[in-house]
Amino acid sequence: MSGGSNGSEFSTGEVRGTGTPAVRTENLWKVYAHDGIRVEAVCDVTLTIQQGEFVVLAGPSGSGKTTLLNMVGGLTQPTEGGIWIDGIDVTSLSERQLARLRLERLGFVFQAYNLLPVLTALENAEFTLLLRDVPSEERREKVEKLFQRIGMAGLEDRRPGKLSGGQQQRVAVARAVVGEPALVLADEPTANLDTTTSSALIDLMAELNRDLGTTFVFATHDTRLMDRARRVVRLVDGAIVDDDRRD
Amino acid sequence: MSARGRIRLRLALRNLRRHKRRSLLSGSAMILAMALLVFSRTIAEGGHEDWIDGGVRMGNGHVAVEAPEYRTRRTLDHRLSPEARAAVKDALTSEVLTERLVASAPRLMIQGLASSSSGALPALIVGIDPEAERAFSALDEKLEDGRWLEPDDHLRAYVGARLAGRLKLKEGSRFVLTAQDAAGDITGQMVRVAGTFRSGIPEMDEGFLQIPLTTAQEWLGVPGASTSEALLLRNSRDVGPVRRDLAASLVDWGDEAAVIEWRESMPELNAAVRMDDWADYVFHIMLFVIAATAIINTILMSVMYRTREFGVLRALGLERGEVGRVVFIEGMILTAISGLVGMVLGAAVVWIFFRNGLDFSAIWDMEMEAAGVVIDPVIVPRFHWNQILQSLAFILVIGSLGSIYPAWRATRIDVAEAMKFEE
Repeated sequence: MSGGSNGSEFSTGEVRGTGTPAVRTENLWKVYAHDGIRVEAVCDVTLTIQQGEFVVLAGPSGSGKTTLLNMVGGLTQPTEGGIWIDGIDVTSLSERQLARLRLERLGFVFQAYNLLPVLTALENAEFTLLLRDVPSEERREKVEKLFQRIGMAGLEDRRPGKLSGGQQQRVAVARAVVGEPALVLADEPTANLDTTTSSALIDLMAELNRDLGTTFVFATHDTRLMDRARRVVRLVDGAIVDDDRRD
Repeated sequence: MSARGRIRLRLALRNLRRHKRRSLLSGSAMILAMALLVFSRTIAEGGHEDWIDGGVRMGNGHVAVEAPEYRTRRTLDHRLSPEARAAVKDALTSEVLTERLVASAPRLMIQGLASSSSGALPALIVGIDPEAERAFSALDEKLEDGRWLEPDDHLRAYVGARLAGRLKLKEGSRFVLTAQDAAGDITGQMVRVAGTFRSGIPEMDEGFLQIPLTTAQEWLGVPGASTSEALLLRNSRDVGPVRRDLAASLVDWGDEAAVIEWRESMPELNAAVRMDDWADYVFHIMLFVIAATAIINTILMSVMYRTREFGVLRALGLERGEVGRVVFIEGMILTAISGLVGMVLGAAVVWIFFRNGLDFSAIWDMEMEAAGVVIDPVIVPRFHWNQILQSLAFILVIGSLGSIYPAWRATRIDVAEAMKFEE
């Protein structure tokens, strides 16, 4: 697959794969204040994830994994600190630029699959390509290849309601990677799946990481996923307490 | 359409199909509102046109040419000379007029007295050309006794039944008309009753009579003159262009001939029509509120249920405004389809069931009269496609206004919070 960021309004000054980290955060904070009570969801997180890494953010519930993932994905604004995706300073972007960044450089996989119920499996998978105005033939070719690869061939025309949880999550993964993003952010992608389906999905994502060089960052409790990760960053109370590299 | 535009349209269409029952329910409310709107507007249009038609036939036409001050002075000093009448006749040959004109009739009107051996009563005496008047006035159809005026009649009169009754006149009775002639002298003319009429309008039946135009001209010393040239048009909507065309043709006769329309010559009828229009507007506003509520309710509910979905769309790269546009398009599609269906349904119902008129005789008197017009209890609806399309446009405007708030709500969704939303 070829690079998908042609015509982008973002400039990193560097070419992907020449040393620019996929993600970099510096002294990142997210503080919520409710009724005068201050909750530090993410505390002073400084983290660098290189291109092609397969990283798990682990930690108990409420440790700040999802909040950190959301900030990296530009879905939540940090209270303080900096975030760079593919060399782009996310905190300086306008809403419109953030939407563009998510479209061109990021892929998301959610716990609840979050496929668009009114679109077929194929239409869901090609959704970001449609938004990027990729020609129909190229779009279909990419998605069909990907569907072959993820074992979804023949199910292209099914609506999400007619797919199993595992199949829906496969389509979600296809949607996340089809645009060749710099980074795929996956929040508890295996939480709703049975053991066999989870293992198959983890295999699939590991394979895509290896073959396409796509960077994956997971927020998860799933030990099977942690076992497959080449790096596990542990968070407790919003702060990094351990960064275990297994390369 | 751009690729993003196509996606927004596809999402909107499929979301409407996804919740068929909800869409159908809201669509039904709007279909009903639009159908009622078409029904009420065609009936109102038919009713008003009947009123106006009845009024102008009994009165001075849709458009009339008079001497400029005749309306206020009401004397023969302010009359149309034979030359001015000839100019009016020429003007009637224009394309605008020939397409729209049904009939024209000269009138010579004067206030006077009708006297018999039983007494004297004030009366509006109108000199008419029976042949021209037959195509114009409905008064010949209101005959009670005797006959209407014939072209060869000279000293004959067609008299309101109550006036005839009070003067104890019958067909063939002689009585005397007295009025001020062009020289300012009081002059009398004996005529014989040709027939009597009962119009249903008390003022006419008690104080109105017609005599041949030539008789009136000779008697009052104004040969070849008239006080007005009344024009009956195919439709009251033609008044504007006819008035403009006629005024342009008679521009050189400005001191002698002025063009007026029925709204000026029959202000009571105009007020009654306008009042009825306002009542219709209130009804239409209620229908629009129903349509707007249906739209807001459906689309807003849909936005609330789809919070997570909108969050996903934003996460995938749709801009805030684009999510709003998806919602707005849904509202517009629902409104447009419902509006079209309602328009066709309303028109079909009116055409199939009420083409020959909606009979209100059970709820109002056959002789009901308002603003000097006898109201026919059978109202025949009238279709004006521009009016129906205008209603459709109104519904679309209401639909778009009703979709704005839900669309705005959709743009305000917090993406991270939306992901936690349980559908």
